[in-house]
Amino acid sequence: MRSAIVILYPRTPELPGAEDCDLDAFLAQYRRETTTLIWTGVVFGALVFHLTPILTVKIPWPAFGLSAKHADEHAHKIASTDLYLVRQLIFLVKLVAGLAWGQHPEVRRRMALPPLPADPGTWKTS
Amino acid sequence: MSPGEHIAYRSKDERDVDVEVDFVVVGSGAGGATAAVTLARGGATVALVEAGAWRDPEDYPSSAYGGMRDLMDDWGAQVTANRALWPVVQARTMGGTTVINSAICVRTPDDIFAQWVREHGLEDLRAPVLRAQDRVERELCVEEVPVAARGRSNLLAKRGGDALGFSDSHYMMRYAKGCEGSGQCIQGCRARRKQSTNLNYVPETRARGGIILSSAPVERVLLERGRAVGVTGRFVHPSTHAKGTRFVVRARRAVVVAASVTHSPVLLMRSGIKSPALGNYFRAHPGTGVFGCYDEPVDMNVGATQGWASTAFRVDPGLKLETLAIPPELVASRLSGGGTELMKRLTEYRHLAMWCHAVRAESTGTIRASFFGNPVVRYELDGADMLRFRKGMHLLARQHVAAGAKAVLPGISGMPYKLMANEVDKLAEAPLDPRRYIAILSHLFGGCVMGKDPKTSVVDASGRVHGVPGLVVADASVIPTNLGVNPQHTIMGLAATFAERLLDAPRAVV
Repeated sequence: MRSAIVILYPRTPELPGAEDCDLDAFLAQYRRETTTLIWTGVVFGALVFHLTPILTVKIPWPAFGLSAKHADEHAHKIASTDLYLVRQLIFLVKLVAGLAWGQHPEVRRRMALPPLPADPGTWKTS
Repeated sequence: MSPGEHIAYRSKDERDVDVEVDFVVVGSGAGGATAAVTLARGGATVALVEAGAWRDPEDYPSSAYGGMRDLMDDWGAQVTANRALWPVVQARTMGGTTVINSAICVRTPDDIFAQWVREHGLEDLRAPVLRAQDRVERELCVEEVPVAARGRSNLLAKRGGDALGFSDSHYMMRYAKGCEGSGQCIQGCRARRKQSTNLNYVPETRARGGIILSSAPVERVLLERGRAVGVTGRFVHPSTHAKGTRFVVRARRAVVVAASVTHSPVLLMRSGIKSPALGNYFRAHPGTGVFGCYDEPVDMNVGATQGWASTAFRVDPGLKLETLAIPPELVASRLSGGGTELMKRLTEYRHLAMWCHAVRAESTGTIRASFFGNPVVRYELDGADMLRFRKGMHLLARQHVAAGAKAVLPGISGMPYKLMANEVDKLAEAPLDPRRYIAILSHLFGGCVMGKDPKTSVVDASGRVHGVPGLVVADASVIPTNLGVNPQHTIMGLAATFAERLLDAPRAVV
């Protein structure tokens, strides 16, 4: 899943990529906190991402094994595919990765937004 | 009067909770909290039972991730079970969806009351509902979005709407006192400006002696000899989701269900309530956003999350137009594409304004319980509604251009990513397949609809379930038609009316 996310949100001169945004810690937290059903869906989405370069760049090789150029081309094409269910699965991966990417202080700084305080994760008990 | 107890999560090792009151209210959102406080003000003893945890603003998350985890029902992951998988968004927290919405206050339109009388035989609702809405507006400090909190996206929308001559183009009236424009409505207003019900009606219910149960999803309504006499369920830990001890809340006078459009019908089904209309006539305001790209930075997350609206098209073709700011976390997935092309698109973030529509759709769907007991929503727009949907997107695109946008991003699969200002009329021919769109069902109605005839409705004009004494429904699930405006005020007006009628009625009549 990590490699799919890194290909979908790569580092560019203008913006940090997902791998610059504490991705490993985020994924560990997400796995711990989300429901099994949602986690399964995201894992399945990442699997589909890796198994579909044959449909996009015509190379029978998983996305994690492609050259950087082909992987980037695959990421764009598979995220925009006409196959609805495939597009939805990739959307799910993009959504989860976007949660990690968009909340990072460096990304927010580039968007002229203040850093977010930590989520307290607390509730009223009395 | 001494304040009542707040009973939060209790583990399996602790003693079961057994409480008896006059009325038990299931759900603490717009309907449940309004019903509970009305009953408490009338001198009744009340227990309010909420499936989610009780979070005050200092407990609210800041990130979209935290919002999904802490405030949304099922992480906001519920989708319609049809060809197009459109999200069905509801909250699961004390205060319900009033915590995560934009606090938009719109009175029930007169034509809706007339339609309810004409098509559903619902007499005598207009006057009490409007009276209750008057009161709610005073109590929840309804005011127009302050000038300082409008933000550039809302100002541009007003400019675009005015330029196109929309007959109604206004800054919103909202349940928000001195909005600071922090752009955090969706994650809950940490600045305490938004008047969600966890900050007013729930604490007041407690202050009047009411008992509040949080993290307490109700499993069943208890029935004895055909009469509703209470509710039962198990506490669920807000973070680990571990099951806790059992609770039973007995109601001497009535059980009021306000668990949401998706959960109320399913709760009634699980409890053995039989009605041919139960779970039917589900309706919604499906909607989507159109981004405008502007030369100057818009910074849509500065200012009120939603601050401008137009009801000019509510009747024909059946749309409401609004602004909506979403954070970078969500824009990242909302923009199409991936890889370096997506990152290039994201560099435009500061120059984007997102405006959206809510379609007053006539299509209907159903709500049923899955094998695991959770709600399953089947709903898809028919051809006429998809035409409305497309027309709304075209209007929003034209509005962006009128406001000065150099291009728009329609977000429709199979169409160009970006349409320049002189190309927006291509949207008039956009595809009508719902799978082409990234849409959402935000305002939900039906499932336990009101009406005179028990064959086509679940409850009467006072929210009483046909043929089940002591059981009342008081949330958006009773609304039998599509309002075409934001429903919170209508839900509150109906819930207050139903609660007043409960107070007035002798037990045998409820």
